[in-house]
Amino acid sequence: MNTFSLKKLFYFEKTPLNLLMAFVTVALLAGFMAGAVLYILHGHHAYNVTRQHPWGLLISMYVFFVVSSTGLCIISSIGHVFGIKEFQQIGKRAIAGAIITISSGFAVIGLEIGHPVTMLIYNVLTPGLTSAIWWMGTLYGMYLAFICLEFFFLTIKENHTLSKFFGIGGLLVGLAAHSNLGAVFGFLVSRPSANGVFYPVYFILSAMITGCYLIFLMYGFKYKMNFPAKVEVMLVKLSKILGMLLAVLIFFEAWKILTAVYGDLPERGATIMHSIKHPNFWFGELILGMLIPFTIILMSNAKAIKATVYASITGMVGIFFMRYDLVHDTLLYPMRTLKISEYELPPTFLEYFPSFAEFAIGFGGIGLSLFLYYVADKVFNLDESDSH
Amino acid sequence: MARYGMALNYKNCINCRACETACKEENGVLLGKDNYRIWVGVKEAEGLFPNISIASQTYHPSQCQHCSNAPCQLVCPTNATYYSKDGVVKVDPTKCILCTYCINACPYDARYVDNRTVTVDKCTFCTDTRLANGETTTACQATCPTKVRVFGDLDDPTSEISQLLAKKEYRRVKEHLGTEPKLFYIL
Repeated sequence: MNTFSLKKLFYFEKTPLNLLMAFVTVALLAGFMAGAVLYILHGHHAYNVTRQHPWGLLISMYVFFVVSSTGLCIISSIGHVFGIKEFQQIGKRAIAGAIITISSGFAVIGLEIGHPVTMLIYNVLTPGLTSAIWWMGTLYGMYLAFICLEFFFLTIKENHTLSKFFGIGGLLVGLAAHSNLGAVFGFLVSRPSANGVFYPVYFILSAMITGCYLIFLMYGFKYKMNFPAKVEVMLVKLSKILGMLLAVLIFFEAWKILTAVYGDLPERGATIMHSIKHPNFWFGELILGMLIPFTIILMSNAKAIKATVYASITGMVGIFFMRYDLVHDTLLYPMRTLKISEYELPPTFLEYFPSFAEFAIGFGGIGLSLFLYYVADKVFNLDESDSH
Repeated sequence: MARYGMALNYKNCINCRACETACKEENGVLLGKDNYRIWVGVKEAEGLFPNISIASQTYHPSQCQHCSNAPCQLVCPTNATYYSKDGVVKVDPTKCILCTYCINACPYDARYVDNRTVTVDKCTFCTDTRLANGETTTACQATCPTKVRVFGDLDDPTSEISQLLAKKEYRRVKEHLGTEPKLFYIL
């Protein structure tokens, strides 16, 4: 741990980039507070969710944060669990990021679940063991405990044996939790476009990609693009891993779409066709999230580290659209198939646009993550210690 | 114990919506476009003028199907959704955390949020109201002018519903999902 004082906490070099980041962080945090107040005053009426579209942006942002957390945990494990030397330097920073992002996710979901206290009580008293949400929530609770202990033994009281033990535990429980989050959607028999094995597997893959993007962003910001040789070697290798993961993701997505539209199975083919025609998919997910980073890695033979850092920004925007579409596309097809009042048209694909409160809380969670990361970077030494 | 179900002579429905009103009145369902336990779906007439098939315009009264293998019950993380001893799918509001996973999982759009308890609500076959007071019919059945609905015990071979289902052909909605719905649409 570093020596810590409030004066030190709020001191930073006043470069334009730092000032911009400070402004963005404070604005997003203020948004989070405003959204929370709106939710406390109006409950779910502050959100644009409906009977037909009961999940919205906040579920997407929760998934966004926990995907980030699991991704950082998996990528960090390359070094301090599997012992690949070049990656050991990212351990502390990545685990700090994992704790911070999952905490932000919990903060966001805490304002989406109607009765969080009831949840804590009845999750234990009358557990729904057939529910993917129960397993996901319980395993993520355990995961947070594991990675906090891992961070404690990495940073505060250095103990390599215990940090590795909790690192392996965190990795395994995190993988189980995250695939269960995929199963929350994959288990929906009523939603043919989501039902099946795809999401539990895809969640792990996209988490690893998110983890790579975030590592690039954290190091790009820390070193302001002037990377030491040791870091550059690691980032080149990480870039190769990212390129391979993106190739697999593009391959997975292509076959998901082809199998969905082939034969035009009722509810499934039309839903997937509707979603891939939307700019959220082809521009957000495909171009920003996959093709720009993949092309840069491919064209530069994974050596254009600076460009990959910038591509990681588009990549994270793409990851956001992947999470948004995950929720919206799952709920796209109406479950009520006939009109029920005189002055309406027969139901068609559902529309949804988040409310101000949803934007404020959802994106406010990013502010929470940025603030906690800033504090963690000040309080702890997140770089590799000499004893490694 | 009984195993309650409902048969619907849906071709008799005249879309008067007395059932919707009776349900709201009997069970205290709040007003509002998303607040309904039962509804009448309108399948519009097919064809182009002047060749419009009047017979193709039908009304489909619907509600919770009280599935024997209910997706909403499977996904509930706190077991707030449960089967009563009579096979009715119900929600315990003290355990409901309003995650709304059940609303996503229901293939029939049968669930909504009650703004008083701020928990998920749905059709109960009037087990908390009329049946608890010794009645043998649901509010929607009792009020129907064309006798669309027949409610009763599927395990009692002498009940009206069992007799009807033994004699008539019927279909169930989205049966292919394996939900085993207990609403039977008489053909």
